[in-house]
Amino acid sequence: MNSGEIRTATLESGETIEYVLDANAPRGGMKHTFFTPDKRFVVQFFNDPRNAHDPQIQDRIRSIVSIYNPTVSEKDGGALGNTEKTADYFRTRFCWPVGIVSSPEFGIVCPTYPQNFFFGDGASAVLNLKGKDKKSNWFTGRNRRYIAAQELGDFRMMLRTAIGLARSVRRMHQAGLAHSDLSCNNVLIDPKTGSSVVIDIDSLVVPGKYPPEVCGTRGYIAPEVLETMGMDSSKRSYPCVQTDLHALPVLMYEYLFLRHPLIGPKIYSHESAEKDDFLAMGPMATFIENPNDTSNRPPDLKVTIQSLSKGLENLFLRAFVDGLHDPEERPTAMEWEAELLRAWDRLKQCPNPNCDKKWFILRDENQPVCPFCGTRTTDRIIRIRFQSEMRGRKGVFRNNGDAFVYDGMPLFDWHVYSNVHNDEKASTDMRAYVCKHNGMWLLVNNGIEGMVSPSGRLVPKGSAVELKDGAVFRMTNRENGLLAEVSVT
Amino acid sequence: MADYIRRLPVYLLLDCSGSMAGEPIEAVKQGIKALVSELKSDPQALETACLSVITFDSSARQITPLTELMLFKEPQIAAGGATALGAALTVLSECIKAEVRTSTPTQKGDWKPLVFLLTDGAPTDNLDDGIDALKGVAAGNIIACAAGANANTNTLKKITNNVLMMNNLTAGDMAQFFAWVSGSIKASSKSIDAMPGEAVALPPPPQGFVIVP
Repeated sequence: MNSGEIRTATLESGETIEYVLDANAPRGGMKHTFFTPDKRFVVQFFNDPRNAHDPQIQDRIRSIVSIYNPTVSEKDGGALGNTEKTADYFRTRFCWPVGIVSSPEFGIVCPTYPQNFFFGDGASAVLNLKGKDKKSNWFTGRNRRYIAAQELGDFRMMLRTAIGLARSVRRMHQAGLAHSDLSCNNVLIDPKTGSSVVIDIDSLVVPGKYPPEVCGTRGYIAPEVLETMGMDSSKRSYPCVQTDLHALPVLMYEYLFLRHPLIGPKIYSHESAEKDDFLAMGPMATFIENPNDTSNRPPDLKVTIQSLSKGLENLFLRAFVDGLHDPEERPTAMEWEAELLRAWDRLKQCPNPNCDKKWFILRDENQPVCPFCGTRTTDRIIRIRFQSEMRGRKGVFRNNGDAFVYDGMPLFDWHVYSNVHNDEKASTDMRAYVCKHNGMWLLVNNGIEGMVSPSGRLVPKGSAVELKDGAVFRMTNRENGLLAEVSVT
Repeated sequence: MADYIRRLPVYLLLDCSGSMAGEPIEAVKQGIKALVSELKSDPQALETACLSVITFDSSARQITPLTELMLFKEPQIAAGGATALGAALTVLSECIKAEVRTSTPTQKGDWKPLVFLLTDGAPTDNLDDGIDALKGVAAGNIIACAAGANANTNTLKKITNNVLMMNNLTAGDMAQFFAWVSGSIKASSKSIDAMPGEAVALPPPPQGFVIVP
């Protein structure tokens, strides 16, 4: 192979694309990758020609590129119900294949990852990482010590990273797709900006199509898949939505706690490392924070799932205690997304200027202590509880989530209407914001129609409601408007 | 928090006999440099792999003890003398016994070591002594590479089933060999999820290399 030589590939659409040969082309388990001369796209071919000629693989990939593609709008041949807006949104969250190569052989074309998922200058003082992709275990494992501080982000950005990933996985699952190999290698993260991108989309499990032959990556394979790997095909568990729902919380746990949820001090077998690891990740896997079985609990755990919101703690328990060996019990990606977003509104800035996490989730306003550095907040804590009126039961309200406010906090449609969710469809226009003015905390209307003050007067755009203890007001008097209840601690 | 990460021990057994003098030995030095730099850019390899270098000429010695990649310093190597491959295997078995942590009821053991052997000639000492010494030592995968026309693949087959042949000793081929070694280490550090006892799947060898059946 002549490195540097430019070849032309023909796509099934009839278009052509140039790529640059490279003897040391990046090589994964299944495919190898060449870049286009402008490096905007990659052209990938299978390592094994049998895979390239397999009509079932080709058929599966064709449907991934077209009718299951969330990065192309429905009218342009993408996924059903997909608009230009949601296609734009997911184009930044997935490295989704955009074309199929028919000549010189079967292959796929994918966009290159966005630039912020490659390390730049100064990413590490001791390693030469420039141009390398940001695999998440640069940030979550012991390698973190080699990465420059400005690359590491803070706790809030790690939470944002988790929200983005949960949303991407939810989007795939919503269409019935399973990624099948979510791992530190296939989800790149940029903690600086709190973003993630899911790559290696071609091994998706597609409904009604022949499944791909991947089992996953060490540390992220669901226990039932590992346990049954060598068995007869009738007894085997294969990657599916449920196994993604193991890998997803493993990744999110790593983002939030910088450790693996199953790797602890417990020794499962002293026969060999391989046997021990098989048991630790497979049939005997034990969550390091399992409250009923502390055999795998590291002695020095300080920040735990109890340092998160109650809702997130419960989801982690369902994923890693109830659901670890019982796939049906695992929380869905939609549940994760919703609970992470609730936690987002509970974020509190740590008052300690030296705390490198900067933010924490305030679980209980009577205990406003940063779990990372132990610093107690002495500020007043102002909580807005958003309540939604139950359908058909006028005057009966239900808690829709709390927000702990800070100066400059933006509020959006999902803080105004009970039927708007913070997702790819929602508007990101700021509808109101919190501001501290002359010692008063104000919620300023920035574009809500029909905002009502505690005394029942309309609050026009540019005017504000004071956030006083006990204040109750309507975010809007329009249909599905939320009721806001203020408490000050 | 303490690390509960297992190490993946990697041993490089390098032939430094007289016939390696000149371009080949320089290519080996460059190869080690490139290998370490490549592994350091892979988070999984960086987290788990440890590297040791054993060289052999008229005798054999460990010139770099098993070291984590961040602390690894390129060893000084020079070519000259005969091909004491048997002695090299004996040194390897002693090093594995001394350096590789075994699993016990109170200690998480290391992964099975990965051994890469590069030689360009036939052994000049008693190979069987070395092969005997290796028995009872849990080396996971030994990959032997016969470099150039004078290497004897039949003797290497006595050591391991995994024998590669590289036709000549040019710098380019040597660079490709080390690139393949780093690919193999990376693959091993990711896929040690295989069922217990199963061999790790290594990437296909570079073009121009032949797997000796």
